[in-house]
Amino acid sequence: MIKKFLNIFRNGAYIDQYLFISITLLSMMGLVFLYSASQGNMETTIKQSVFVFFGLILMFAASQPDPDFYKNNALLFLLISIFLVLLTLLTGKEINGARRWLDLGFFTLQTSEIIKVTLPVFLAAYLFDKPLPISLKNTFLTLLLIFFIVNLIRIQPDLGTSLVILIAGLYILFLAGLSWRFIGISSSLFILSLPFIWNNLLEPFQKQRVLTLLDPNADPYGSGWNITQSKIAIGSGGLQGKGYQQGSQAHLDFLPETETDFIFSVIAEEFGFFGVCILLLVFFFILFRCLYLALNARDRFCRLTIGGLSLLFLSTIFINLAMVVGIIPVVGMPLPFISKGGSSLLSFYIAFGIIISMATHKKLMRR
Amino acid sequence: MIDLQERVSERKNFFNRLLLIHIFFTFLFVFIIFRTYTLQISSFSDYEIAALKNKTREMLVQPKRGIIYDRDGQIIVNNIPSYNLIIQPSFEMNLDLLFEDLGSYISFSDDEIKSTYENFKNKASLNRELVLKQGLTHEEIAKFEVRAHRYENVFIAERFSRQNLYPKLFSHSIGYTGSLNNEDLETILVDQSLQPKETVFNYSNGYIEGKTGIENIYDKSLRGKFGKRIYEVDATGKLLDLLNEIPSINGRDLKTSLDLESQKTAFIEMKERRGAVVAVELATGAIVTYLSSPSFSVNKIANGLSQNEFKKLISDKDKPFFDRAVQGRYSPASTIKPAIGLFGIENNIIDWDYTINDPGYFVIPEDNRIYRGWKKGGHGNINLNDAIIESSNTFFFSLAYDSDIEDLTEHLAKFGFGRNVCTDCFLPDNGLLPNPRWKMNTHNFGWFKGDTVNMGVGQGYLSATPIQLAYYSALLANKGSINKFSFVQGYSDPIKDTVKTNNIYASDWNKIHQSMIGVIDNPKGTAGRLKSLKDYKIAAKSGTVELVSTETKEDYKIIRENEGNRDHAIIIAFGPMPNPKYAVSVVIENGESGGSVAGPVAIAVMNTLVKND
Repeated sequence: MIKKFLNIFRNGAYIDQYLFISITLLSMMGLVFLYSASQGNMETTIKQSVFVFFGLILMFAASQPDPDFYKNNALLFLLISIFLVLLTLLTGKEINGARRWLDLGFFTLQTSEIIKVTLPVFLAAYLFDKPLPISLKNTFLTLLLIFFIVNLIRIQPDLGTSLVILIAGLYILFLAGLSWRFIGISSSLFILSLPFIWNNLLEPFQKQRVLTLLDPNADPYGSGWNITQSKIAIGSGGLQGKGYQQGSQAHLDFLPETETDFIFSVIAEEFGFFGVCILLLVFFFILFRCLYLALNARDRFCRLTIGGLSLLFLSTIFINLAMVVGIIPVVGMPLPFISKGGSSLLSFYIAFGIIISMATHKKLMRR
Repeated sequence: MIDLQERVSERKNFFNRLLLIHIFFTFLFVFIIFRTYTLQISSFSDYEIAALKNKTREMLVQPKRGIIYDRDGQIIVNNIPSYNLIIQPSFEMNLDLLFEDLGSYISFSDDEIKSTYENFKNKASLNRELVLKQGLTHEEIAKFEVRAHRYENVFIAERFSRQNLYPKLFSHSIGYTGSLNNEDLETILVDQSLQPKETVFNYSNGYIEGKTGIENIYDKSLRGKFGKRIYEVDATGKLLDLLNEIPSINGRDLKTSLDLESQKTAFIEMKERRGAVVAVELATGAIVTYLSSPSFSVNKIANGLSQNEFKKLISDKDKPFFDRAVQGRYSPASTIKPAIGLFGIENNIIDWDYTINDPGYFVIPEDNRIYRGWKKGGHGNINLNDAIIESSNTFFFSLAYDSDIEDLTEHLAKFGFGRNVCTDCFLPDNGLLPNPRWKMNTHNFGWFKGDTVNMGVGQGYLSATPIQLAYYSALLANKGSINKFSFVQGYSDPIKDTVKTNNIYASDWNKIHQSMIGVIDNPKGTAGRLKSLKDYKIAAKSGTVELVSTETKEDYKIIRENEGNRDHAIIIAFGPMPNPKYAVSVVIENGESGGSVAGPVAIAVMNTLVKND
């Protein structure tokens, strides 16, 4: 173990400086935003700083092993994370009627955040050597696994995370070469079953959220409150914003959940369109770096993993932003590296650690 | 070679698909950016205004509550300004230090300090203000203002508190006010089309609403309309400027029909004994006197009572909170006899000449059960007139025995028994007018003939509230028609109640009046002792409610050792005769004799009313 660790310094550490710098920068911006969004709460900010610090170390550590380490142990990791999710369902801490957290004493772990990373890695490891196009049998096996896990998360209930996991799983399938015919048939089936889903599977509060989206002004003081206030916050930011810690929407308690889901509104209010563009630029830089790395990855497993994890990151950002600006209904979804919350933060550091590992370890055999 | 080609095509395939997703998301992100752009740049001014509106705090301005007058225009309830020392518990503060500091120049009672500690947490969680001390003196105000800069969340505010000038006279009729809770306030604001906003409630405090009595029934009119002050605030919520003010509209003053003088008389005469006095003006049905005794001070209730004082009032065995006038149920006893007599006349069971021999008891032929009168040996040969004057039980036992119970209850309902007789009384009880169906449902027993016989003398299941007795008295006085009782005239159209009868004529009413005058003025009358207390004629009927049934006077002497076993004293009266203007009812619990205990109270109230006209 120690020998291995020392090897790092002998051979030089595996670091992708572009990703490392941009993610560190993003994390620092996140801390600055969070301080304002939490009404200048030092305790929250310090706690988050500790997470960022450990997260960066975790990312570095996760990028050191060879990608084969992840490939060979993917099943083990998946089984462990499924076990944790089941444990959560049985013994988890209940907050506001949802069982999503395992109390570890020093830290409450949101177990669905772990499976968010291990599932795509496992799927990539499972599919990388299957003949193309993927056989119907493999397709169904994979879909079965995805829906099983998504459902475990959905009953916690955690609609947002289960949605992201579903999307991430489907990406891998798609990238691995799912036949277009299958995609066409299944998506038309999905569209046809939409009325059934609306009537039978959605909870009343979820339907309310969808209806609110279509007409937030119908009940501006009730269910439309969050989205109305969020739009006022963003809109009143203007080009340059109102200045750091000067956002009246955020600081006078009009905005809900400023530290988590609606932190983007705070940023938009205080830093304006200008600030929003800078934040998005950093996000885009990371995404395009991942795109580049995926295309130049050493093998199919790495390609699939980088593609899947970076798309997971992309869709999380998209869902959060689309919700905050009022394009999609309100689902709980943090803004990666910015929102408060340890589990989500750490899982993204690990995900990027894996990406960096795959980008930096070149194949040694068969030169 | 094949391997390589496959990998090249596979890479190409992967590349295409990944690019496809990225292009898809690029479109989505462009849409988000466009959306943010429209929000922030194109519609910036709209949202800037919306956010500016949110940069305000709204404070409600409570209108001054209407003043309540008696029928001669004398103020009964007024608003008095008081300067209160107030803190904002939602901000952190050290109460020990605060009291030590403030205590050096403002004196606090133990109760004030105790209630501050008790309520601090609760008020903090509700984000409400907490009053440390009410009614600061000018000196205390001055001393505080000099040092005000030292305290961030302590301030003095002028508040109007409700003051009843006669706090113990009108405790049940006018009632008291109390603090308004958030839900009620929200309902009121919606009702007054002032859109409630979350921030309104943060600072709302000191608002009151009527909790009981007239204060409650006429709350909407007394309350007035809330106003609003809208302040601009900075990002920390500190008040900057008054931006706008919607003035409040004061509540309407209320002139009641209550008569201060007769109320005083009733209070003095009742001497805090348990019971009730109700007097009404016959022409209008206006309640002029309304007392439930013992009473309590409404001002203390409205303006905060210490835990101890409150416990003492609640656990008082005389139950001062209980409004006996509309909620106390008492058997009407002998006071029912005029109504029973009229029933006999209407149904041709008896006429005014009908005579029976009263041996002092009545025997039901079916089961030989004996019903005793109050006078040993009986009243001899008597007719209806004598039976009312002397209060013969036997006469009415016999009359009731010959009556049909369904017809009898229908008849009594016309006189107000078993129903609400007041348009604006607070939580009136309907008393109990029993009938065979009711008995079967509640006691699972059939109706006995003996039940009807008991009803003939107002005993048994039949019970009425003092206000129902007053209504019955008023109907007798007005010869069968009266407005439903109310405290306020001209607020809504009066509801006239008329006893529809086929066979009762003016002469019958007059004869009943004569008999009831005889109750006091005839040498044989049961309330003869009242004759000297007045210099005009009053019609009356006394009653004594047996709580424990005894065979002999000796037995009664034993059971009366326990005050709770003693008979209730009741009287109904109206006058001055022959053209009565007022009707009155008095009940004194365990007072023993209707004529000589309840009677003087009724006469005194009547005297005050008649003298002041």
